[in-house]
Amino acid sequence: MSSRENMPSETSAADSIASVGAGMPAATARPARRLTIARAIAEAIGQEMERDGDVLVIGEDIAKLGGVFGTTTGLLDRFGAARVRDTPISETAFIGAAVGLAASGMKPIVELMFVDFFGVCMDAIYNLAAKQSYFSGGNVTCPMVLMTSVGGGYGDAGQHSQTLYATFGHLPGLKVVIPSNAHDAKGLMLAAIRDPNPVIFMYHKALQGMGWLGTVQRSITDAPEGDYTVPLGKAKVAREGGDVTLVGLGLSVHQALDAAERLAGEGVSAEVIDLVSIAPLDREAVRASVRKTGRLLVVDDDYLSYGVGAEVIASVCEAGIALRAAPQRIAFPDIPVPFTPVMEHYALPNAERIVASARAMMEMTSND
Amino acid sequence: MTEVTVPTELWDMGDEAAISAWLYAHGDAVAAGAVIAEIMVEKSSFELVAPASGTLNILVAAESPVVQGQTVARIA
Amino acid sequence: MSGAPNIGSGASVDTDATRGVSAGMASPGAASGAADSRGGANRSDRLWMYATMVKSRHFEALIKPAYFEGKSPVFNMAKGPIPGEMHLSDGQEPCAVGVCAHLRARDTVTATHRPHHVAIAKGVDLDAMAAEIFGKASGLSGGRGGHMHLFDARVNFACSGIIAQGLGPAVGAALAAKLRGEDHVAVAFLGEGAANQGAFHEALNLASVWKVPAVFVIEDNSYGISVAKRDCTAVERNSDRAAAYAMPGHFVPGNDADAVHAAAGAAIARARRGEGPSLIEIETCRLEGHFMGDAEGYRPEGEVERLKAADPIPAYRARLLDAGFEVAELDKAEAEARAAVDAAFAAARAAAYPEPEEAFAHVFA
Repeated sequence: MSSRENMPSETSAADSIASVGAGMPAATARPARRLTIARAIAEAIGQEMERDGDVLVIGEDIAKLGGVFGTTTGLLDRFGAARVRDTPISETAFIGAAVGLAASGMKPIVELMFVDFFGVCMDAIYNLAAKQSYFSGGNVTCPMVLMTSVGGGYGDAGQHSQTLYATFGHLPGLKVVIPSNAHDAKGLMLAAIRDPNPVIFMYHKALQGMGWLGTVQRSITDAPEGDYTVPLGKAKVAREGGDVTLVGLGLSVHQALDAAERLAGEGVSAEVIDLVSIAPLDREAVRASVRKTGRLLVVDDDYLSYGVGAEVIASVCEAGIALRAAPQRIAFPDIPVPFTPVMEHYALPNAERIVASARAMMEMTSND
Repeated sequence: MTEVTVPTELWDMGDEAAISAWLYAHGDAVAAGAVIAEIMVEKSSFELVAPASGTLNILVAAESPVVQGQTVARIA
Repeated sequence: MSGAPNIGSGASVDTDATRGVSAGMASPGAASGAADSRGGANRSDRLWMYATMVKSRHFEALIKPAYFEGKSPVFNMAKGPIPGEMHLSDGQEPCAVGVCAHLRARDTVTATHRPHHVAIAKGVDLDAMAAEIFGKASGLSGGRGGHMHLFDARVNFACSGIIAQGLGPAVGAALAAKLRGEDHVAVAFLGEGAANQGAFHEALNLASVWKVPAVFVIEDNSYGISVAKRDCTAVERNSDRAAAYAMPGHFVPGNDADAVHAAAGAAIARARRGEGPSLIEIETCRLEGHFMGDAEGYRPEGEVERLKAADPIPAYRARLLDAGFEVAELDKAEAEARAAVDAAFAAARAAAYPEPEEAFAHVFA
């Protein structure tokens, strides 16, 4: 039997097993090797540490524990404590140290356990790492990867559930990526480590495949064993369609794909764009899609105002693309993430909201 | 036909375990040595490795409790 | 450091002695820290400390199974009546009671992601606290904050989840008291891991420079998640770091409520006298994992068993019996403490969830 293809409606013999790989990169002829995003990240880091002695990993609980979110599993045993370093709770110091390591020609990967903690270490990120190349006229680069967990939906409340895509995407000098699946996670991480610029590598907690954070089956995809990269700054078409463009990143890609499936049942053909990269933002990929569909809906789980939706919609509108309906955005409202589930889930984007919004956009155009 | 059984001796027998995720679907081709599922015991994760290459037949769905030594799949 | 806590002459008697709806017995409050003839905690304080430790431990004992409800067979953190993370304080009770025995409702306390024992000792409304953890409308913030973000303005208690970030606000609360000419104090609780975070150093320096009535209390349970203190801290004793900020540093070994009571009494009295801040470092222990579900693979074999054998609560009970307390009075205090917790949990379970739209309230005042 051939390995699973990129076929959204494929069913499996056991009903309780969800379709794996739908909308995600297709497997090749060899048996697929499926990884969770957490495993893909750890694999990428391990492979690059093997290949390049200048790569090291720094962060809280990343050595013995293998990372609270599984990003560094097995690395301490393979590479030892000099290159896989547990730190004190001193983000501004060790992220600053990463900047210095990078300036000295090493390739540090540093983990900020929760993106919400950026408050204690932001200077090293946005004033140092982001500006090192600029201030030095390109003479001193900052080949650093800052990996960090984002996202909520599991009751971790206001200081442990944020995504902050816009906060980081907004600041010049940083590349910012977020994979929606294991294949991209591995390829993006390898590309990020090799990139001479500081890369903020966000991983969504709901997609890590950690079990205790739930499982999004579609994020578990084939990831080839060998070396490959996924380019930073390039969005992907996760599903082709002609009636409406749904744009997402990380978790919202999966919600958009779920919505697209439902919309297909209603005769609406949705195209789903996986941004992959927040900065640089692949505006042209979105524009190309909207030139085709004329309808744009952007979905993300960051705060609404001044967010990803705003940026994508502005990028399309200022290009003067003919639209068949007013562009829409679905995002987390401008409130702290509430603890109690009835409130949190009321606020979070979901597939139903995407379907409703897309349907409304389809109904808007009566003169076609 | 090879049976895929829940590993023994990796955790205390009394602890509740469950497959948190199958990484492959029923009917997929799997390679010997591939991690095909994750088993969770509280917050710890353990690997379920394919003992042989072939086609995976899943017998126990994700999120069902399992016990050590239990056959959860077969590879043909 | 003197053994006898002394509230000093001229200190105002705080008539607001209540500490919470379900305080089973009058808490030390205004008469706090009054010493007995031996210079230790007085009888009333000791009984209160014991009962409060029991109350706190019983609270955690009810939280644990409630937390695991719905998270089976796969431990999915999002499920059940208490989703998200849970950081229990079993073993650290002496730190909370030894300090809070000296505090009034008008004294400020800031605490961490592991707050329950401190909140209970400070007199936070037990019913509202339980309801908040269950995410109910009758919770302290109507379910918006949850277990790591408990605020009770009536007793000036606040906690939140970013390491060391409670210290700055404690300095500010202390400054407010000083500017108003009051003898209230502010106490910030933190873990030993937080002593390596920048905010700790800034707050201690600022507290000293401004000479505010603040007390910083380090609960050293040896671990920051999986990282042992010795692997990430340049000094052996964090109390030694007090010298860098020109304030007294007290080290309290042995997870001993009476010893905490003595050290805290001295520091809080000093603060109330207007003599400035202090740092206290308490050697305590964490009997559970960092968070519920933590497999604790990083702990050496047998360590948890050894710590449980040295559980501070039965040890304190034995000491009180040795000191002449009657079994009956200890049992009675215990029963009242447990009953208060049982009632709070029953009420929390029965309470209604908020309306979803309530998520939008209180973003701004």
